[in-house]
Amino acid sequence: MTQLRVLTLAACLASTSAFALDQGEYRFNGFGTAGITHLGGEDDGRSYGVNGQTNDSWRGDQLSKLGGQFQYGLTDTVGVTVQATAKPEQDNWKANLEWAYLSWQATDGLMLRTGRLRSPVYMYSETLDVGFTYPWLRLPDEVYSQVQVSNYEGADAIYTLPLSFGSVAFQVAGGQAVNRNIFAADELYDIDYKKIFAANVSLATNDFGTVRLGYTEADINTDITARVTTPFDTQTTIPLNQLDDQKGKFTSIGYQYDNGTWLTANEWTSRVIEADDQGSTDAFYLMGGRRFGDFLAHVTYAQLDEDDGRQTSWTYGLNYNVTPTVIVKSEYKRVDTSGNGYNGVFVEKAQESYNHAVYSATNGLAGTPSRNYDGDIISVGVDFVF
Amino acid sequence: MKFVISALSACTLVAIATAAQAEVAVIVNAGASAAPTQSDVANIFLGKDKSLKGVDQKDWNPTKDKFYSGVTSKNESQLKSYWSGLVFTGKGQPLPSVADDAAVVAKVGAEADAIGYVDKAAVTDKVKVLFTLP
Repeated sequence: MTQLRVLTLAACLASTSAFALDQGEYRFNGFGTAGITHLGGEDDGRSYGVNGQTNDSWRGDQLSKLGGQFQYGLTDTVGVTVQATAKPEQDNWKANLEWAYLSWQATDGLMLRTGRLRSPVYMYSETLDVGFTYPWLRLPDEVYSQVQVSNYEGADAIYTLPLSFGSVAFQVAGGQAVNRNIFAADELYDIDYKKIFAANVSLATNDFGTVRLGYTEADINTDITARVTTPFDTQTTIPLNQLDDQKGKFTSIGYQYDNGTWLTANEWTSRVIEADDQGSTDAFYLMGGRRFGDFLAHVTYAQLDEDDGRQTSWTYGLNYNVTPTVIVKSEYKRVDTSGNGYNGVFVEKAQESYNHAVYSATNGLAGTPSRNYDGDIISVGVDFVF
Repeated sequence: MKFVISALSACTLVAIATAAQAEVAVIVNAGASAAPTQSDVANIFLGKDKSLKGVDQKDWNPTKDKFYSGVTSKNESQLKSYWSGLVFTGKGQPLPSVADDAAVVAKVGAEADAIGYVDKAAVTDKVKVLFTLP
């Protein structure tokens, strides 16, 4: 701890070059969120969210996380960056090496990086864990629960071009992410993403906001099967989702605007997995907010569409900037699913899904009917950076 | 005594009023040939344009506030949030900063490719004013 403090102090004292660090220079930056969240209005024990940590008890492990980033200049243009986070995965806290890479500022506009990098899937992908950089405590789950892998091993190139009215940045990335976890049906499973290719372009204007267009594809390997009990009280193994090098494609179009008083953030995404007998998963959110001094009031509508149905939600939030680097946030989110028995981001255990399938296959003789879900999610927390 | 105190406070008030009304000058080295426009300056201070070296002011002060709100349309917390986005994506580092107007003028006066912003009153003949923000 003392060492850390000395490091931070040294980093603050070090005089720094603008974009890449000079040879021998280092920086330490940190970020974190401490928050609690609660799901009301559903069955006892029903859970919701990417890792299913939002349920009817007040829990801190859906939202809370802590991260640190260390950067060191090997030469004036080559640097090393390491970022580690501590965050909960399902029910356990876990330390993650989110990224560890070498970067080379080849020219004023071109940066090349290689190592473990964050996958640039969504508009907020690269700062997914830095709540300080977005207005919500919970990023809209409808969009942000779809692709769970947060980093990959590979390389990327970022080219930034200043324009008379702003700037434009291009990013291309390639690599793979193997032996990662995916949360499905209340359990964690192994998943491999190979031949990842991602490209995005971001146009930032001085007066009219920022537009981002991103595309990511990967060959996905996973075998999500579960043991369930049949109506005859025997055990059987059922496949929930088996992918054998099938190509997943993800498109994201985002727009952000912030003039100091009014702000808006919007993103539309579409996910297609080839030959999985399902249509595309489409989702979007629209967010608008207004600042009143150090307060920010915001409202978000989000929607998720799959073959089985639709999830919609309204989120109302109020944030308060305690200091320029500390924000207290509170949020109320109302979620509803509709359709032919659709769970959306609510977690259904494998046994439940199986019972629903049995019910529809036997015309109601056995199993249980599928149903829709709804709930009220309240979240309170603090985001900070240092 | 009372008179002295009130005179003093009057002076302070005048000083504060002057500071609040002071124009902010965007300056480059007196020998510099580059003449960036206001939007070029925004790109430089947001780390997107590296053709000139931006010299920032360390603490948030009225000059810094006027500069960033005028040129980049960002207040202090928006600017922090912007740089956090770049720092934690590994895409950039905040500009180097110095203590005050005098230090900015000294640095810009000494380095041919430096650019800074100061209270107009601090401008010397070592630097050239690109434009001012009222």
